[in-house]
Amino acid sequence: MNAAFRTCPTTGLKVHAQADALIKANAVVATVALLVGGISAMLVLLTRWQAVHLLNDAWFYRMLTIHGMNMLIFFILFFEMAVLYFASAVILNSRVATPRLAWTAFGLMVAGALLVEWTMFTGRADVLFTSYVPLKAHPVFYLGIILFAVGAIFVVSIFFGTLVVAKRERTYTGSVPLVTFGAATAAIIAVITLGHGAAIYIPTFLWSLDLMHVDPQVYRLVWWGLGHSSQQINVAAMVSIWYLLGALTIGSVVLNEKVSRGAFALYVLFISMASAHHLLVDPGFGSTWKVWNTSYAMYLAVLASMIHGFTVPAGLEVGQRLRGYTKGLFEWLKRAPWSDPGFSSLVLSVIIFGLVGGITGVTFGTEQINIIAHNTLRIPGHFHATVVGGTALAFMGVTYYVIPLIFRKQVAFWPLAKLQPYLFALGMLIFSMAMTFAGSFGVPRRHYDITFAGAPFDVQFDPSVDLVLGIMGVGGLIAGVGGAIYILVTVWSVFLGRPMPEEA
Amino acid sequence: MGMYGVPQGVSNPPDPVPSGELEDKGFGGQAPGTMVLVMVFLLAFVVYYFVNWKLLSFLWRIG
Repeated sequence: MNAAFRTCPTTGLKVHAQADALIKANAVVATVALLVGGISAMLVLLTRWQAVHLLNDAWFYRMLTIHGMNMLIFFILFFEMAVLYFASAVILNSRVATPRLAWTAFGLMVAGALLVEWTMFTGRADVLFTSYVPLKAHPVFYLGIILFAVGAIFVVSIFFGTLVVAKRERTYTGSVPLVTFGAATAAIIAVITLGHGAAIYIPTFLWSLDLMHVDPQVYRLVWWGLGHSSQQINVAAMVSIWYLLGALTIGSVVLNEKVSRGAFALYVLFISMASAHHLLVDPGFGSTWKVWNTSYAMYLAVLASMIHGFTVPAGLEVGQRLRGYTKGLFEWLKRAPWSDPGFSSLVLSVIIFGLVGGITGVTFGTEQINIIAHNTLRIPGHFHATVVGGTALAFMGVTYYVIPLIFRKQVAFWPLAKLQPYLFALGMLIFSMAMTFAGSFGVPRRHYDITFAGAPFDVQFDPSVDLVLGIMGVGGLIAGVGGAIYILVTVWSVFLGRPMPEEA
Repeated sequence: MGMYGVPQGVSNPPDPVPSGELEDKGFGGQAPGTMVLVMVFLLAFVVYYFVNWKLLSFLWRIG
């Protein structure tokens, strides 16, 4: 029987030993992936910064592939697996449904990730994150992704199983907490996402073995059911973490459970259709299909984010006002714990995700406007604001609570840890906005050399592009320093850090 | 008082909200500061969206 629990002295929650270990294992691997993705990010950045132009063409595309896979898939998904164990077993005081399967799933995910890393680092998969057919990678690349996805689907199943166990064993009363509800939303979207992944990567794996044909347009259609939806798992997980951090840091309240839960349900219903906005300039789909999916269905998913974008800060405000910070419009904000990296990460994540990433993303979802933004640097400018400035920053913020609450360690280099969210957010803000400006001047994304040196034709960009790309480079380096501090702080805290005072 | 290496929410958790305080509270007037912030967001959204259509009109002239 694995039902060994400890009681958290801070929260009073009963923490199952297996949940504890699984959260630690997934968080550690996520941090390793973040390190690999971060180093490759710096190399890509110093190549896109035209005045530096560090790598040659082959290594640029190789590093871009490594960066995309490690950041968008391995870092984010391993961290989300930890979130799923936390939101089910820990928050509900329950045991993990099937610990052996959970460790098997972890092993599958690690094995799959290692196979993918091997193909990428050895130049067998220079196909970028999207791996669009007919770009062909080594079959092991697709096999690795399939193994990773199978492991992830096991974890999602274990999450649902743990909810059932908790309900049956009456480890909680009433409805599940909002954080668990949000994580359940993320898990449902994960099922949809991984279904699309199976539907496209299994045929593509067979195609890489010359056993069948895959149509490029069909590939793009189904792949984006995976590629975009996977980022919506992030959004649901990130919003859950916003609510969690609000409650942990200043005791924010949930203004209206039904409204917040309804907004999570909107994600489940409409977010997959938003994948169509990646295909707005594809000639193979009709305008009716594009407009229905983006200008109608997608806006309902956007509505969900706008609801959370209101209820999260409003919950903070009401929580502060109930504790006496009632002067004027913003005393609640001025008197907030800005030196708590969990709180600063939360606020900065909401601002960057909503104000920069959200606004730009919704605008791209309009068919006519998409044509001037598609395949320019405006696109990565948008998703670095959402996924990095939003999701990754929220994940970083919650890490500062996971270290003392789960790892039972003090956060090392505390002054640096307090500075880290500001540095990372500032860097990502400069980086994303500079990318957006460069894209507005027509600078293409995923492009090794915008001077087109040696090309048979001449392409000239506005001279200000060089300046904007330089600003992008500086912003990226600042964010890189912020990311490096995060890795230093977390690795040191976990492996060499001092235990929490009551355990010293 | 904060503790070195421990976030405030762990070393000094927020006081519980007094029971009954949340009852009879709706959205209206409850979070005026947030309403101001949301309006700033909405304004930025409108401006950015308009600028994009304007840019499009420069690129695709009609007539």
